[in-house]
Amino acid sequence: MVDSSLGRPATVLVVDDDADIRDLIVGQLHQENYRLLAASSLGELRQILRDEVVDLIVLDLNLPDGDGLLLCRELRAEGAEVQIIMVTARSSAIDRVLGLELGADDYLTKPFEPRELLVRIRNLLRRGRSERAARTPTMRYAHFGPWRLDLQQRRLVAPDDSLVMLSSAEFRLLCRFIEEPNVVLSRETLVPERRATAAFDRSIDLQVSRLRQKLATAPGGDELILTVRGEGYVLASGVAHS
Amino acid sequence: MIRPVARVRIFFGTMAGQIFLILTLGMSVAAIIALLVAEQARHHDFERVRRARVVASAVDIADRLEHDPARIEAMMANHRIVGAAMAPDGVALSETDGELEKTLAARFGKGSAPEAGQVPTGLCFPSRGNKERAAGVLDAPRPDCWVVRFTDARGARRAMALSFPRLAKPPSTIFNPLYLLVIIVASAGLAILVARFVSKPLRRLERAAEAFSLSLDPEEIPERGPEEVRAALSTFNLMQRRARAGFAERTQLLAAISHDLQTPLTRMRLRLELVENEELRDRLLADHQAMQTLVREGLDLASSTESREEWSVIDIDSLLASMAEDAEDLGAPVRFVSGCGGTVRVKPNALTRCIANLVDNAVKYGGGAEISCARAGGRLMIYVRDYGPGIPADQIDQMFEPFTRGASSQPGGRHGTGIGLTIARSLAMSFEASVRLRNAQDGGVIATVDMKG
Repeated sequence: MVDSSLGRPATVLVVDDDADIRDLIVGQLHQENYRLLAASSLGELRQILRDEVVDLIVLDLNLPDGDGLLLCRELRAEGAEVQIIMVTARSSAIDRVLGLELGADDYLTKPFEPRELLVRIRNLLRRGRSERAARTPTMRYAHFGPWRLDLQQRRLVAPDDSLVMLSSAEFRLLCRFIEEPNVVLSRETLVPERRATAAFDRSIDLQVSRLRQKLATAPGGDELILTVRGEGYVLASGVAHS
Repeated sequence: MIRPVARVRIFFGTMAGQIFLILTLGMSVAAIIALLVAEQARHHDFERVRRARVVASAVDIADRLEHDPARIEAMMANHRIVGAAMAPDGVALSETDGELEKTLAARFGKGSAPEAGQVPTGLCFPSRGNKERAAGVLDAPRPDCWVVRFTDARGARRAMALSFPRLAKPPSTIFNPLYLLVIIVASAGLAILVARFVSKPLRRLERAAEAFSLSLDPEEIPERGPEEVRAALSTFNLMQRRARAGFAERTQLLAAISHDLQTPLTRMRLRLELVENEELRDRLLADHQAMQTLVREGLDLASSTESREEWSVIDIDSLLASMAEDAEDLGAPVRFVSGCGGTVRVKPNALTRCIANLVDNAVKYGGGAEISCARAGGRLMIYVRDYGPGIPADQIDQMFEPFTRGASSQPGGRHGTGIGLTIARSLAMSFEASVRLRNAQDGGVIATVDMKG
């Protein structure tokens, strides 16, 4: 596939110490017309990065001569623009969080659906350079009113550090508000991904009212989401990240 | 409020109560026996002093009689010697004093054949008729009167009546109720101290054992106290460490196997893409999926016993409500029925996973789940109930064993890995909670997560 933003086939580097897996992934990616490179260790990986322009690395975390997480941090510290998908057998949430914090763009656990890997590679490459340049270092918390929203663990933290749990729908909704604070958002813009599942058949108003109830449990949290009659809702608060 | 009788019974059922009872009774009895012995000794001494007086007096008179028999006899007859007179003739000594006679025999020599005994006072003071002449002494203690007879060195049989101021023995005080009360109260006080002292380390051990039953990773008990107690605590700590090590080893093994299986599974999954035969491929994919689920749950079980997650205070209703909402969004009939308000200190991700597993089971075996929450007696209970067919009573305890699944006749039976409940319980232990299952009276199963609230 010729990436429009690059004007040439994207170069994908597959790093895995298991020769079979490496070859199989490479085999899978062949269908997609990428320029494919493979490495079995951090040493080989560094060598290739010196010699070639690589757009995306599919990186296994456990390599014979080091940890992929450290390499990831190294690359980001050097300011490398290459995209990284971590693939690892570890599956704890800590690894995922750590991987993303250290600068990986995406994270897959083994064993994965081959097609899922293809889709993620495609998506990352499509996002292109311009968007990535604006990529902010991963933020953990969004502060608004008396609350902090933990973006990774998907829960609200009250001023006294106690936690309020959010359903997935509430979290998505709150994220929309936080992306555009002090802007009136219509019901349609609040749920852009209105899929044909039962999830969004429920009225948006009900979801907002539940979210309001949760926000109102902290002092000063009751006037955060306001209704604008006939238009939608607004998060009446500044948002800061940390 | 428990009835007083029942409370007393409970108290004496405890070790502290029994020690208290034994010590209070034992020490009281011991103190009373000691006092009785002392009383006996006092009585004995008193008698000895009385006899010593008689002996001293008798020896003195005998001495004088030996030197100047005629004059002394005359003086005695005329009551010119205070405290000694001629004994009236014909007095029969109904009760002779054996001890006294032995002492006298030792003083007067063999062959003196002494006889001695206390006699009524009147014999010492034969009707002198002077009672009427004394004022106010009618009730005064009258002297003791003793008659001593012996044969002196010259072979003459002497008989004398000796009188002494009455030596009254003060009455015994040990059966004074006040004294008895003091003894019992002092015993009880000491008994309470001892009972507390003895039962304290046991209580510590009990608390530690309880903590160990709830969590695999409790703190070690500090090994303080007397030597035996230290030894018991140190043995307990050792046992705790061994149990933990054994458990950790098992978990590591499980984790290692599960972890290492991920690589061949990944290869297999990638290779499956190369299988041309569509039907075969679908079947292999299903098998692969089943293996992958098993591996994932194995990893979950392994990681569930490690409590790396931080404790946090959470709004419990928000957690239950959002879980129900998420499940509903995915089309599962899950309802959050009633909350209990307030916050609780847990490991949030572990609690979420634990309840999610219980909800999954309820949906799978019971067709739906109702989540509710209640507080009682400092505990917080989360109930996940379904209205399914329930679990046969004889199998309910086995449900927590790994790889136990509902009967294949049940809806949802014989699918899954059978370690969902094991994981739930092990997660609950990581935040010091317990999970129980029981059949509801009106059908279905109620799973309870019981934690400190």
